[in-house]
Amino acid sequence: MAFAFGFPLVQVVRDSFYAGNFSSPIWVGLDNYRGVLSDPAFRQSIFNNMKLLLAVPIMLALGLVIALVLNDRIRGGRHYQSVVFLPYVLPATAIGIAFSFLLQENGVLNRSLRKAHLGGLAYDWLGNSHLAIVSVGGLVIWQQLGFAVVVFTAALLALPPETAEAARIDGAGWWQLQLRVLVPQIRPIIELLTVIQVITVISWVFNYVYVLTAGGPGFSSSVMELYIWRSFSSGADGTAASVAVMLLGMASVLIGLSLWVRKQAVAT
Amino acid sequence: MRSTARHSIVRLLSQHAFLIIICLAALYPLWFIASTALRSNAAYQLNPTGFPSHPTLTSLRNMLFHEPLPRWMWNSFLVTVSSVAVSTFFALLAAYAAVFGRFRGHSFFISTSVALMVVPPVTLLVPMFVFMVNTGMVNHLQSVIVFYTGLLVPFAIFFMTGFFRTIPQELIEAASSEGAGPFTVFRRIVLPLSGAASFTLIVVQAIWVWNELLIALVFLQNESARTLMAGLTQFQGRYVTNEPLVLAGALLSILPVVVLYLSGQRFFVRGLTAGIGK
Amino acid sequence: MKRVLVSLGAVLVLGSALFAATAASKTTKTVADDPNNANLTYWYWAESDAPGANAWLKKEVALYEKSHPKVKVSVVIQSTDTLTSAFTTAAQTKSGPDIATQWATLPTLTPAWGGATVPISDYVPKSEWKNWISTSENMWEGKLWAMPQYLIGIPFVWNKPLFKKAGLNPNVPPKTWAQFLADAKKLKAAGITPFGMGNQDGYGGAWFFSLIGKQNLNSITELKQAMIGGQDFANPKFSGFYQALVDLQKKGYLNSDVASISFGQGFELFGQKKVAMSWGTDGNVAQWESQLGAKNMGVAAIPLWGHGKLATSYDVTQSSDAFITKWSKHPRAAAQFLMFLHKPQALKAWYKATGVFPADKRFPSSSVTDPIAKQLLKLDQSPVSVWPENFVPPQVDQNADLAGGELITSGSASPAKVVKLWKSQLSQWKSQHPDEYNSYKKWVTTG
Repeated sequence: MAFAFGFPLVQVVRDSFYAGNFSSPIWVGLDNYRGVLSDPAFRQSIFNNMKLLLAVPIMLALGLVIALVLNDRIRGGRHYQSVVFLPYVLPATAIGIAFSFLLQENGVLNRSLRKAHLGGLAYDWLGNSHLAIVSVGGLVIWQQLGFAVVVFTAALLALPPETAEAARIDGAGWWQLQLRVLVPQIRPIIELLTVIQVITVISWVFNYVYVLTAGGPGFSSSVMELYIWRSFSSGADGTAASVAVMLLGMASVLIGLSLWVRKQAVAT
Repeated sequence: MRSTARHSIVRLLSQHAFLIIICLAALYPLWFIASTALRSNAAYQLNPTGFPSHPTLTSLRNMLFHEPLPRWMWNSFLVTVSSVAVSTFFALLAAYAAVFGRFRGHSFFISTSVALMVVPPVTLLVPMFVFMVNTGMVNHLQSVIVFYTGLLVPFAIFFMTGFFRTIPQELIEAASSEGAGPFTVFRRIVLPLSGAASFTLIVVQAIWVWNELLIALVFLQNESARTLMAGLTQFQGRYVTNEPLVLAGALLSILPVVVLYLSGQRFFVRGLTAGIGK
Repeated sequence: MKRVLVSLGAVLVLGSALFAATAASKTTKTVADDPNNANLTYWYWAESDAPGANAWLKKEVALYEKSHPKVKVSVVIQSTDTLTSAFTTAAQTKSGPDIATQWATLPTLTPAWGGATVPISDYVPKSEWKNWISTSENMWEGKLWAMPQYLIGIPFVWNKPLFKKAGLNPNVPPKTWAQFLADAKKLKAAGITPFGMGNQDGYGGAWFFSLIGKQNLNSITELKQAMIGGQDFANPKFSGFYQALVDLQKKGYLNSDVASISFGQGFELFGQKKVAMSWGTDGNVAQWESQLGAKNMGVAAIPLWGHGKLATSYDVTQSSDAFITKWSKHPRAAAQFLMFLHKPQALKAWYKATGVFPADKRFPSSSVTDPIAKQLLKLDQSPVSVWPENFVPPQVDQNADLAGGELITSGSASPAKVVKLWKSQLSQWKSQHPDEYNSYKKWVTTG
């Protein structure tokens, strides 16, 4: 573990201070960082990771609703659950390729919308620079939803049935039961999953972006991982390293923040 | 409550409807991949949404016999099996030592694992790449096996310690009071008990490695060493006007995962949430 | 407990020993460079320029292996959007193919400057390579660094029946930009999409730069100067063409999905009769001819838009070339195979398979009999020819040329913003790759 993590972590910080490629490095101090921060492509990448954060509440809320419905001991619940969870295990690459065909301007989605007289909704999902990242977000939600459902379902199952029974006897309606009784009880799980998905959206979305839009048009849907990849594959190792360091910093800050929030919650 | 019966029927129907819609959305892309892979390119270009009325195996056959796809699948398979095996084995031993051992700093060890779990692999990419080049391991499967194993271990340890903590201490004490050494306890008691959890861990890790793209793209650029996912992206660029062919490749890459999933569903779900729910 | 920890340690040690052993066993023993005994890997790209190229190479490899039983050539087809980055990454590993393909001039010279390739003139006698056409695109320090295989021009094409349908004379293509816009207007009024191209991956926009953008320059040296900062890219003579592209899109003269279909998919539009005008390589024209019929399409020079001396230049280039890598253990074998691809049999087979002219003086132009091909040949022999994109450093090409065009066609940036992007990318290139920058600078002044 020291090998896999310690050595590269130190090395990447060192690399961030050099330019040229790794066989002939040239010391440039903080220039890499300065260059990166003034690069509109980089700013757009961070911005996009932030935009993807918006996908997290949507995915969690939807997953929660599905889990609550399944929790009602509905017939065939197990089968529904296996279908909903299936997308999560599928390779993001293969799925992304399929979506890249489906979402083209004249692809399946838009053609179906136009056939159904909803042509107004047939946007250029991949070619419009504002929508490209939204499409990526949609793909992320599609795949991560199953994970949220499974986790929430398990958490709900673990709850003592007495509280729910008591509420039902007291005359609580279905929605009241869900929102006032069940959800608050699984709050720690919701928080944990939020943290996990935030991390996912910051540093585990390369597959989706690379295959769906390659960061395009231009760099409007680029994310930090893609920016690192781009720098690396044009031989700018120092730049790649500096962005990697910044990404690491961001991830650590977010983790620290979430741990602090959890401590506060426990204290109350 | 008034008209409960009617309310509950409406509620039941709407719940089912809601779930069915979700399931359709979840399954459609898969259906799209499978049905397009079975159509001819001409038929697809004419009508992308059509039903495969004349299914053909041409694309699948091309993928299997005229493209390096089988080689790539084999590479992915080797990498997956190796890294998952080493990581799981290591995690079993380490978690056992951490939970039941009494060596100094074992809680520090566990919290380090948790912390390392959240390090994005992409941040380690460049130095690891340089290292692999310098040791000549780049473009050989060892490079990714080593890197993947290193990345899998923190989560594996975290998961296994979580599970081992659920094993009642009395069992261990009973065995050791009968004179069994720690290794024997491990072999006779802990290992058999952790069957389901190990299986779950193996499946989760295997799916992660099988699906991984970025590291494979960087470390394995030789045709002979390329993994399946990296190869698929090559197809995406190369055959951009032959969707059935590309999706045939996608279909073949999904099949093993689906088979694994269908066979191990129950354990998968149970194990995944057992590790989380603490 | 100690036993468990000890076994843990043993696993680690064993694992690392295993890996080290397998890694060590892969160290190659030096083999003599026998031209008739080698395993060669060839990273190949040409199909996009010349449909039919992949099949042609496969046949040639089979022929060569038959007559040279101890030589095996593995061809790995490259995709357009990773052609440069895949090689750059491989070059970092100092391992990879024996022969690689890159686009001419900058994409070929940049790795040469970085020490990743060897000059082909070191392995091929001058008596042979003096027959190759357009070698000037890859000369540096008096040596030739890569072998051309074919020559392509980029003609303007139009669909004659569709012209007629819109009330335009089917035998008169637009010669100036004003005429082009007027024709487009009439076509649009008749419900026909005037011009087709795909720019999701940026190559459509890059072609716009090379075909239209250069037309206000007087010589390519001006562009080279702009790359190293000797001239300002913001000067409209370099970047004014973006406004023309914006206008095309605003007026609705481009296909509606230009921003979401790829370059290759864009070519299909003309062949599928979905658009009335387009441009493509000689190879694309050959394919369109088979789809539309020679009577139903015409080829001509690109409409005149600018006022510089380069406005009347025709874009002819070898486009891509083959070179031998520095780490290859069989450069002589590689060179011998490459020379085989210029034998009369290979050249004839190439022309038959792709309709694209081989880059060899020994290829008899009498073999060109198809009327449209004859027109293409005439265009290709224009006195002044240049392909501007070849002079842009690959990183800048990727991040400014391609990216900028994508931003324009997706309507997400104004021309002014794209110019800023070019300038910031040029300065990034300079600071990230000071050695490349210096090599380029030297090359501009000395050649």
